[in-house]
Amino acid sequence: MRRQFKDTVTELATNDERVIVILGDISHYLFGAFQDRFPSRFYNMGICENALISVAAGLSAQGFHPFVHTIAPFITERSLEQIKLDMCYNRFGGNILSCGSSFDYAWDGATHHCYSDLAILRLLPGMEVIQPGSRKELDTLLRSQYNNGRPTYFKLSDHPHSIDIDIKFGKGVVLRNDANGLTVVTAGPLLPNVIEACKDFAVNLLYFPTIKPIDKDLVAAYRHTRFLIVHDGFGLREAINELPGLNTAYHGLPDQFCVWYGTVHDIRREIGLDPAGIRQAVAAYSRNA
Amino acid sequence: MHPVCKQIRRDILLASRASGHGHIPTSFSIVEMLFATYETMRHNPKNPAWEERDIFILSKGHGALGFYCVLARIGYFDVEEPKTFGAYLSRFGCHPDRHKVLGVEASTGSLGHGIGIAVGMALAFKLSGARRRVFTLIGDGEANEGSTWEAIMIANNLSLSNLTILMDFNKSQVRSLPIDNPAERLRTFGCVVHEVNGHDVEELKQALSIKSSTVKAVVAHTIKGHGCQTLEQNIFEWHRKSPDAAQYEQFLKELDAGSSLA
Repeated sequence: MRRQFKDTVTELATNDERVIVILGDISHYLFGAFQDRFPSRFYNMGICENALISVAAGLSAQGFHPFVHTIAPFITERSLEQIKLDMCYNRFGGNILSCGSSFDYAWDGATHHCYSDLAILRLLPGMEVIQPGSRKELDTLLRSQYNNGRPTYFKLSDHPHSIDIDIKFGKGVVLRNDANGLTVVTAGPLLPNVIEACKDFAVNLLYFPTIKPIDKDLVAAYRHTRFLIVHDGFGLREAINELPGLNTAYHGLPDQFCVWYGTVHDIRREIGLDPAGIRQAVAAYSRNA
Repeated sequence: MHPVCKQIRRDILLASRASGHGHIPTSFSIVEMLFATYETMRHNPKNPAWEERDIFILSKGHGALGFYCVLARIGYFDVEEPKTFGAYLSRFGCHPDRHKVLGVEASTGSLGHGIGIAVGMALAFKLSGARRRVFTLIGDGEANEGSTWEAIMIANNLSLSNLTILMDFNKSQVRSLPIDNPAERLRTFGCVVHEVNGHDVEELKQALSIKSSTVKAVVAHTIKGHGCQTLEQNIFEWHRKSPDAAQYEQFLKELDAGSSLA
């Protein structure tokens, strides 16, 4: 997905001289060609995430479209106040693209995991929060949002899915519409596991690449059903529950750090987000629906 | 004391007295710095959005009252307006909001933020070939924040010669984490540093006007509460306090008598 980020931003930079890339000392080699083509608009600015956001806000204030990129926990949880004040409160926009998703860096331990970025950023006034699941979705959403003057967060993963879905900012997608009882809701690269887990059940399946603003109309259309929210992070559950009175359950991260190392697939299996684990949850909620 | 700066201090006292809100000592320590900066900058109070203007950002946002009173005296708005300081629905909060007050370029308050925004703006001007300059005022207390030094490192790494950092060295951190010898620290981080008497407008203007090939820092030696002996001697007690009628009269007398420690 990072390659897609590079491809899309390179194309945007070709046509828009206000596009500027700021790295927190990651993905440097990936952007080698970008640096060669646009040396004055490429900055590997250093391992100083707080200031990266402030500097991006200042660039945005003077008309540039910054793309700030580094590892998710450092640019969101560490720099939350800079995003809140320098971007949101000041209304200086900018694009923040993280990598590592929730636990792509399973082997690195919880210092490099980020379970809460979507949940905390969706609380900031004026913020747009996006979790693209595929390269195509990232491309679509980057193009539609990058220059709108608002702060926008993109949670990127090194494990995108390749399911071809037409999406639009702020809109959810109905992938299955098979039931009156149970609606399964998900977001991001976990989608293939969810589709696989649901294949033998009569359920509806909704998919939300945009976490904020959540597509309330779509959620409301299924409010007569129960919701099972399957997600490898926090934030989607909270967004869905913006609508009062829904009957929702969450199958996802436990209230503990994912400390088992290995790969993203090992952690998904450990916490029940592999197809078998999700299937168990869908089966249990289908019975109760 | 420069007569305009004395008048601005009277304005600060009056606004604090009228509103019941304080931050007088920190506002008094930056009056000359603010006034000299606006004397040096290209700006137009009658057209605050002038596209070729230089930018000033008060990174130590708690000096807002001093900032407002300076902006008022140089023509951005009526000098009576800051008397609503901190009141419900006033435009003049105890930290500045760029959406509410003409001349405020960035909303600040939490320390260590404005300087980073200033670095981004200075980089933007370099990239777009604009000859605009950016000035930002930080405090020595603010220099406790790590993000302040992150921003200074970035600015120097990019050789932002259009950025000037003014440090209000009023020794406010003596009771917690003092920043001893800030000039040496800033120099170590790559800045060209000028040390001045922060209550001497001409000295400040001269330092601010010197051209530099990289980031310029002006370390201004100041006294919290400068101009009123009572404030100077009781900076912690008066950090956020507003004077009652008798104290207000006393402060005006001290100001007129020039009974400063400086």
